Amino acid sequence: MITWPRMGSLDVVLSSVFEEMGVDYVLPPPSSQRTLELGARYAPEFACVPLKTTLGNYIEAIEKGADTMLMIAGKGPCRFGFYAETQRRILEEAGFRAEMVALEFHLDRLGELIRNINRLKQGGSWVRLLRAIRFALHKAFLVDRLEQQALHQRCFDAEKGATSRALERAYELVRRCSDHRGLREVEGQCFELLRSVRRRQLREPPVRIAIVGEFFLVLDPWFNLQVEEQLGDLGAWVERSVYLTDWLRPSGRNPILGHSDRESEEAARPYLSHFVGGEGIHSVGHTVLFKRDGFDGVLHLLPFTCMPETIAKGILPLVSRDQGIPVLSLVIDEQTGKAGVATRLEAFCDLARYRRRQSDRPGPRSAVFSSAAASGF
Amino acid sequence: MEMGAGIILAGIGERQDGRCRKPRRIGVPSGLLYYKYFPLWKAFLEELGAEVVESGKTTRAILSAGVSKAENESCLPVKVFYGHALALRGRVDALFIPRLVSVEKRTHTCPKLLGLPDLVRAAAEDMPPIICPTIDFHHSFWQNYRSVYKVGRLFTADPLRIIRAGLKAWTRHLEYQKRLAEGWEPLAAMRGEAGGRLAEGRRLRIAVMGHHYNVFDTFTTMSLLERLRGMGVDIITQDMVPEEWKERELRRLPKQIYWNYERELAGALLACVSRRLVDGIIFVISFACGPDSMVHVLCEQERKRLGGLPMLTLVIDEHTGEAGLITRIEAFVDMLRRVHGRKGREADGELVSA
Repeated sequence: MITWPRMGSLDVVLSSVFEEMGVDYVLPPPSSQRTLELGARYAPEFACVPLKTTLGNYIEAIEKGADTMLMIAGKGPCRFGFYAETQRRILEEAGFRAEMVALEFHLDRLGELIRNINRLKQGGSWVRLLRAIRFALHKAFLVDRLEQQALHQRCFDAEKGATSRALERAYELVRRCSDHRGLREVEGQCFELLRSVRRRQLREPPVRIAIVGEFFLVLDPWFNLQVEEQLGDLGAWVERSVYLTDWLRPSGRNPILGHSDRESEEAARPYLSHFVGGEGIHSVGHTVLFKRDGFDGVLHLLPFTCMPETIAKGILPLVSRDQGIPVLSLVIDEQTGKAGVATRLEAFCDLARYRRRQSDRPGPRSAVFSSAAASGF
Repeated sequence: MEMGAGIILAGIGERQDGRCRKPRRIGVPSGLLYYKYFPLWKAFLEELGAEVVESGKTTRAILSAGVSKAENESCLPVKVFYGHALALRGRVDALFIPRLVSVEKRTHTCPKLLGLPDLVRAAAEDMPPIICPTIDFHHSFWQNYRSVYKVGRLFTADPLRIIRAGLKAWTRHLEYQKRLAEGWEPLAAMRGEAGGRLAEGRRLRIAVMGHHYNVFDTFTTMSLLERLRGMGVDIITQDMVPEEWKERELRRLPKQIYWNYERELAGALLACVSRRLVDGIIFVISFACGPDSMVHVLCEQERKRLGGLPMLTLVIDEHTGEAGLITRIEAFVDMLRRVHGRKGREADGELVSA
């Protein structure tokens, strides 16, 4: 039975693939304090937190009967590419019986990749697999657009949490879908669900906050302590730099976010002129781009000891000064408490709102806002 | 003098002016790769007619300055490096901080080294311009050559002089590496002065494994090498283990390590274990080092599999107390002595160093 770590809506995508293929899988229980404690117990002390949570996910899945673990491997320089190997060793050392299958998408390693995929698909045909993946990507695309819609409309909720509840129901609808026609029907229903949430009148346009940072942390609401919901409840119109589809698609065009990787590298160049692994350069680049798009503040999320994001964190104060946009870097690890984060987010939103009122910025900003308002909701 | 595109990082404000005066005094912060390449850099720059200014040994003041400016989450050597760079501020025309992306195909250095010039520039408003040639072995030879050549053009218009400087620098680098392999004291090896040897054929031999910038920095490690020698212990560093032995160990691993300096480290450590070159290993890690956190797991497991040699892992950070460190080293050495006394030493095996 195959398992994979929890990461936001990744389970919608992968479970769809394996269901289509008729392969057994186990979902690890939703991440919890226990997950993190298990991970932290076995992982090296200053490994980054995603390694610890995913390790905890694997252990909990093994307890539920998983015997094959799926992970992506890479060739650096971020530690993520070495997760599979390290976790395999840690689990072996701790006496867990499960096999790690690390998919490495690299031309030199094509043979190994094909062998690994053959093992995973357990005799299903390649055509069927590709079809399953294509369908799953469609699902991911829909889920991402729903999430984006939720980010944009939470600040208008008449009753707090209504959008999040509607989103949950929408997830359920998407998850149950099994063919393209069903998906098209569901799409309309889902957006209807979200739009039907009762809204309140705002006295001024909501403050616009963008979230950038390490993908795992940005994508997983449990892990980032629901900052998106927290910001929404604080009355912020939220956008984030990473969506699952954008992350899964190799082209780097990022259809959902709307800024390509190349664009953000170009924007980052004056401040950080070389890629540093992970999303380091994009965290810097997106901050510049979001400023251009008229956002009032940028929230930068990074796990403790994350190498690329620590570099970004070192450079963002310069970007913030030079571009004139407030940036809050939140370092998250297994010790971070929700209350502390909530206080800082509240102060940050107030600061961004205050700064916006102070500056009488004309035209472009409000134009961007209203056009987004017209098309989005 | 025209600014070499992509070679000089100036402060954000002065980006547009496009011109700077010819740099004379070049500062080299004595941290991170300084311990690996300083003889090379120094020979190159001096040959081009520049005056090279070092920031000297790490001191309490340098460390404190670095810690106050650097990100809290950075690893100790990066904080120390900040301190060195800040100490050179105002004393030099430019800082020399190359961006080493990769020094071997299919590998990378640490991400922190990739972003180092940008990080240092962002550290303070009044940072001098930074000369940062990019060296990346995924690129062609000529691209790297151009990048070095552009540095030369900052100082002279004579292409032959630049090539001569490059060759001289490379010779110096090879000499330095040879001296390290022979077990010279690192700082003596760097200066080319006669100094003590780390291994002199004493009875107890310990491998001190860790990045150069951790092991060779006398302040952050509290003179670990000195102390061990004072206890009458021979020291093996990773430079003293032959390349082929390292490569052979690395080839056995199921997944190749992709950080260049970690490869050297893990290869040397595993060679020490599998060939029984030493009586014990001290693995020096700085706190929050990303690659080391992964490679430590690997080394630990492979070490057990290869029959286990005693290993002490020292994690150092800016709060490390001297007393605690000494106690642990002494206890470790005492333990090795007892084991050693009991076993006696079987055939004195292949000696790595002269």
